[in-house]
Amino acid sequence: MTIAFSLCLLTLFLLAAIGVPIAHATIVSALVYLGLAGQDLGIAAEQIIYGIYDSFVLLAVPLFIVAANIMNAGTISERLLDFCVALVGRFKGGLGHVNVVSSLIFSGMSGSAVADAAGIGKVIIEMMVKSGHYSRGYAAAITAASATIGPIIPPSIPMVLYALVSDASIGYLFLGGILPGLLMGLVLMVMNTVISHRRGFSVDAVIPLRRIPSLTVRAFPALLMPLILLYGIYGGATTPTEAAAVAAAYALFISAVLYRAVSLKNLRDIMLASAKSSASVGLVIGGALILNYIVASENIPTQLAELLKGMQITPMMFMLGVNFLLLALGCVLDATTIILVIVPLFMATCKTLGIDLVYFGVVVVVNCMIGLITPPYGILLFVINGVTGITLAEMIKEIWPFLVALLLALALLVTFPDIILWLPHQFGYSG
Amino acid sequence: MLAVRLWLQRRADDVAVGLLTAMFLAFVLQITARYVFNYPLTWTLELCLTTWLWTVFWGAAFCLKNDEHVRFDMLYCAVNANWRRWFAGVGALAVVVGLVMSVPGSWSFVSFLSIKKSATLRIPLVYIFSIYMVFVVATVLAYGFRLRQALRHEIDQLHVEHPSS
Repeated sequence: MTIAFSLCLLTLFLLAAIGVPIAHATIVSALVYLGLAGQDLGIAAEQIIYGIYDSFVLLAVPLFIVAANIMNAGTISERLLDFCVALVGRFKGGLGHVNVVSSLIFSGMSGSAVADAAGIGKVIIEMMVKSGHYSRGYAAAITAASATIGPIIPPSIPMVLYALVSDASIGYLFLGGILPGLLMGLVLMVMNTVISHRRGFSVDAVIPLRRIPSLTVRAFPALLMPLILLYGIYGGATTPTEAAAVAAAYALFISAVLYRAVSLKNLRDIMLASAKSSASVGLVIGGALILNYIVASENIPTQLAELLKGMQITPMMFMLGVNFLLLALGCVLDATTIILVIVPLFMATCKTLGIDLVYFGVVVVVNCMIGLITPPYGILLFVINGVTGITLAEMIKEIWPFLVALLLALALLVTFPDIILWLPHQFGYSG
Repeated sequence: MLAVRLWLQRRADDVAVGLLTAMFLAFVLQITARYVFNYPLTWTLELCLTTWLWTVFWGAAFCLKNDEHVRFDMLYCAVNANWRRWFAGVGALAVVVGLVMSVPGSWSFVSFLSIKKSATLRIPLVYIFSIYMVFVVATVLAYGFRLRQALRHEIDQLHVEHPSS
């Protein structure tokens, strides 16, 4: 590692630690590197501009953000929840199950865990607390945990970012996430059942079975969305980026035309919030792209691969090591930063050790999503705190069993790659 | 003064809304043309990429407040006001110095592209990419202002929220 690169990293960590936005910190540290290495400072501009301007894949990010924001502004969440209450609300810990199932369905429409927590999550927390059967902390904790499924079941913004740095196929990554997402939902529901019985939660108000058809019809246009997306991508009709636009357009159609729940004024607010989110994510992506250029020109990933190969590391040891490292980083860093800055370091090693890039990608994204609820730095906890006012202490007290359940799911995914790869293989993936 | 600032902020937000809306509509138009009318358009993709680039840099320059960026603020929030002032001041100084020093190189890259034109709309790339220079100048000014605030003991408590993950 050269002195220029060491000082680049030092600048990055120092600036990020004192609260400079990650994007600005990466740009400045890249400039430090270019200056010390005697290179043209204009390279930073070139990398960041072309990185954003030349990537068709990245267009999916703002489009998925728009789609998620439109869905949260309309009455889509409420209709879905009514449907889920009728479906699984009759069991012990019913609203906890409703929480998980609604997240599973919503995750088939949105690619963002934060959108899930802030939108449908906020509504279900209110329902759970109002029922009087669940503590505020419990309602918030299970919401945060189930929101992590959002980007695992397609569509998924983090998987788009992973595809950008790994060159893995987005289509197969999306497919690879479906079974892991369902597995995560299952372990959370099992944990909810166990806790409900142990604490003796009362059964929530039951909706008669005969009302299920009418509630299904009410939610039907929204329920159709995941199917349209999956058919679009895997029927070979559209690319994932186009599917993102279709999702946004469809969400707009059902919210504004069918449900009449979004006005023109709402629409301006939705687009502004989306533009801000897109700008903030886009700038982090741009900064990470310059950093990746530097890391690549310093040959770091290859050196790391050779080092690990020389140490006779097995693929399983490598996977365990990476997972522990990412979980630790997830406690203090944000998922976008980890995927764009840390994960590229391991790509060369994956190829050397013969680790499948779709398998690795799904594991990494699941790991990073778990990082969103690990204290002290868990974005989902902050967001739920922001939209409901439930304190971090209340949530953190209740989050542990769900964290354990999700870690168990992660361990299963790492140990049995077929859970991830079976579905892509059925659709012709040859990796 | 405050009214003028609010008015300007609203207009800046309008531009961001317009850019993202244009991108969204262009993309929908592209899909409709291709799949419904079997008449693929090429200019729409370029419009999408251009408006996306502009959304990122315009938004980052004029719409995002410091606390709306992706930040690691655990340490920043944990320390007392005096340290926070130092953090904000040192951070702002680093960004100002770094970006100012990069201006000549960045401008020579952007202006060099005046001879190249975009693929389908034939717009000189210098116009499309100049938004980066706008971003650099606006960011330098914003951090310059922040540095002044830090020196004058005017830095307040901030909070983070991140929308992408």
